Amino acid sequence: MISIKNVTKKFSKVTALDNISIEINEKEFFGLLGPNGAGKSTLINLLVGYFHADSGELLISGKKVGKNNYEVRKKIGLVPQSIALYDDISAQENLEIIGSFYNIRKNLLRAIIAENLNRVELYERRKDKVKGFSGGMKRRLNIAAGLLHDPAVLLCDEPTVGVDPQSRNAIFDYLEKLNSEGKTIIYTTHYMEEAERLCSRIAIIDHGKIITSGSLDKLIQLLPYKQTIQINKNHVTETKKELFNKFGAIIDGQEMYELTPFDNIKFSEFFKAMEDNGIAYNYIDIQKPTLEALFLHLTGRRLRD
Amino acid sequence: MKNILHLIKKDYIIFWHDKPAFSLTFIVPVFLIYLFGSIFSGPGNSPSGIQIAFINNSDSKIAKKLESVLDTTKTFQLIRSYTDDKGKKAAFDTNTIKDYIRKGNASAALVIPRDAFTDTSMGLKLKFYYDPKNEMEMQLIEGLLTKSIMSQMPGLFMTSMQRRSEIILGSGKGKSFNKKIAGVVSQYFNVDTAKINKWMSSSNPDSMFNDTTSKKANFFIDLLRIDKEQLVGKEINNPGATRSVGGWAIMFLLFSLSGASTSLLDENKSRVILRILSAPVSREQILFGKYLYNFSLGCIQLLVMFFAGYILFHIDIFSNFFNLLLIIIAASLASTAFGMFLAAVSRTQSQASGLGTLLILTMSAIGGAWFPTFILPPFIQILSKFSIVYWSMEGFMDVLWRGSGTLDILPYIGILIGMAAIVNIFSIIRFKKGNLFL
Repeated sequence: MISIKNVTKKFSKVTALDNISIEINEKEFFGLLGPNGAGKSTLINLLVGYFHADSGELLISGKKVGKNNYEVRKKIGLVPQSIALYDDISAQENLEIIGSFYNIRKNLLRAIIAENLNRVELYERRKDKVKGFSGGMKRRLNIAAGLLHDPAVLLCDEPTVGVDPQSRNAIFDYLEKLNSEGKTIIYTTHYMEEAERLCSRIAIIDHGKIITSGSLDKLIQLLPYKQTIQINKNHVTETKKELFNKFGAIIDGQEMYELTPFDNIKFSEFFKAMEDNGIAYNYIDIQKPTLEALFLHLTGRRLRD
Repeated sequence: MKNILHLIKKDYIIFWHDKPAFSLTFIVPVFLIYLFGSIFSGPGNSPSGIQIAFINNSDSKIAKKLESVLDTTKTFQLIRSYTDDKGKKAAFDTNTIKDYIRKGNASAALVIPRDAFTDTSMGLKLKFYYDPKNEMEMQLIEGLLTKSIMSQMPGLFMTSMQRRSEIILGSGKGKSFNKKIAGVVSQYFNVDTAKINKWMSSSNPDSMFNDTTSKKANFFIDLLRIDKEQLVGKEINNPGATRSVGGWAIMFLLFSLSGASTSLLDENKSRVILRILSAPVSREQILFGKYLYNFSLGCIQLLVMFFAGYILFHIDIFSNFFNLLLIIIAASLASTAFGMFLAAVSRTQSQASGLGTLLILTMSAIGGAWFPTFILPPFIQILSKFSIVYWSMEGFMDVLWRGSGTLDILPYIGILIGMAAIVNIFSIIRFKKGNLFL
């Protein structure tokens, strides 16, 4: 469906994409995971035809993507990272403007807009100005705006930035539904939780290069360990976290420490050390490693560094 | 206290990096101070080189002296000839000099008629033709012209008066006349005859002209008779409003079109442009669409402003409406080009807004929207010819004030469209090289 072959894109002296190649199948939910500045948005912009690649080629359904290849553009729906909408007009007017670029008959467009607004639960607010919407509502409308022409491929460039967990889940559900209905989705994010939840296949990108790609299970197998220990953060664990370093590498999460144990470490020794040092814990769990751990393993850096 | 100092420092750092705010705080005011200072800084900087069409048909010495005075003063530049239909230079006659004014080539003409000064006349008769398209300019020209003539002429007036008294009374009769008058005054008012006679003989004629507070001066002012004839705009309903509407209209047009054009930068920042480009729309279509939108908005805005002038001040916009429409179209094209230029050279909307304010205020000041350009320093008068405001205003005045036809306003239309073309070419190059679509 989408073929990215040896694509390089430079801005002045900065290489945003360095000879990358990816194949994305039809109806796939494909994740592009990487830290800020890794090259994710540049790749999306190339797929939209916003930039020309310096070398290599991008094909969608066998047709080359270019600045003026309108046939290819009709196959693509874009959900930009920013809320690419006009704040001072209503949701309905925004969608009418965007839909008008696709030469859809007026009556049909109205019906499509109503359907899309219903699906993102904004139909009742269709006459309200966008500036009065919450962050989550704007994000949902941002997605709806990319779907008016019923594209085969939806490019989502970090579509949940700044959204509360509840709205984020609603967006995830909606995207999963779209994918189940047959849309191919390319989803860029620097949140490994999002990629893990949504994507059937993931490419990890850093400094403009694809480090690795594959299904979540396949990627996790690249790690030399099969489990991680998750410990909740509290004032005791925070003051004595150096102790964990004896047993493995620590990933400092928002609410949890994720310990990836060294080889030949016995869990019994770890728990004994905890008790001996008076570290009280009300949550401890042994889980499969996360993509965060994989990224750390592959790059030596955390995703949000 | 430390915190307050840190807060002050913070604001200065932000201010220093905010180039539009910096330019509006320092550069714009300094420039306007210079401009207004140049205009209103006193007699040392009075206007110079004001063009006046001129004919001297008189052979008298006074007329020649007057011509020489006007020729040598820096205030005026006398124009004695015009280019005829065949492209040849020809000297003015009364009809052609009037046409010259009617066509707006100069605002005033001075004619010294054949009978301006004769042995039998008591004063100097001049003919003054004018086009008061700019009231302030006309008042200034009249004042300066009278001043130039009066300050240089008293000696000649006295000579001519003495000559005339000799003609009427006969040679040497003046002194005996004075003696007789002095004797009569002495007899009735008991004053020494010699003293009266001495005063009458020694009176300095020039002092009479320099003493502008006494009735003596009025007497001599009456000696200069200038017959004035307004050649253009006599039938205008509301001259003041007709003069000013074009200047204000074009200034606000520039402001609104700058804002509309630079909204491209905001659309780019919010990535709406990226969304539009992801549809089957090209960059060229986005730019052209924005240009046409701004152009149509400009035409509508100008039409609304002139219509408001019609409703509020009864400015006659309908008797020459077609030509007014042509100038509106040309001015809107040029103003739209200016707005797109701002979008092309700026990185952010606030940067465009600062630059726009600076350029619009400058163009309005030097282009004649606030005050007539003739009072500006000469080099700024040259600069004003490069502004959209100047040519738009000239076009509006020609149409509304002079009732000019299509052929007459073609030069203004050509210049405005030419300006639009040049600025557009520059903007397109900038858009291609710049970062609007990055």
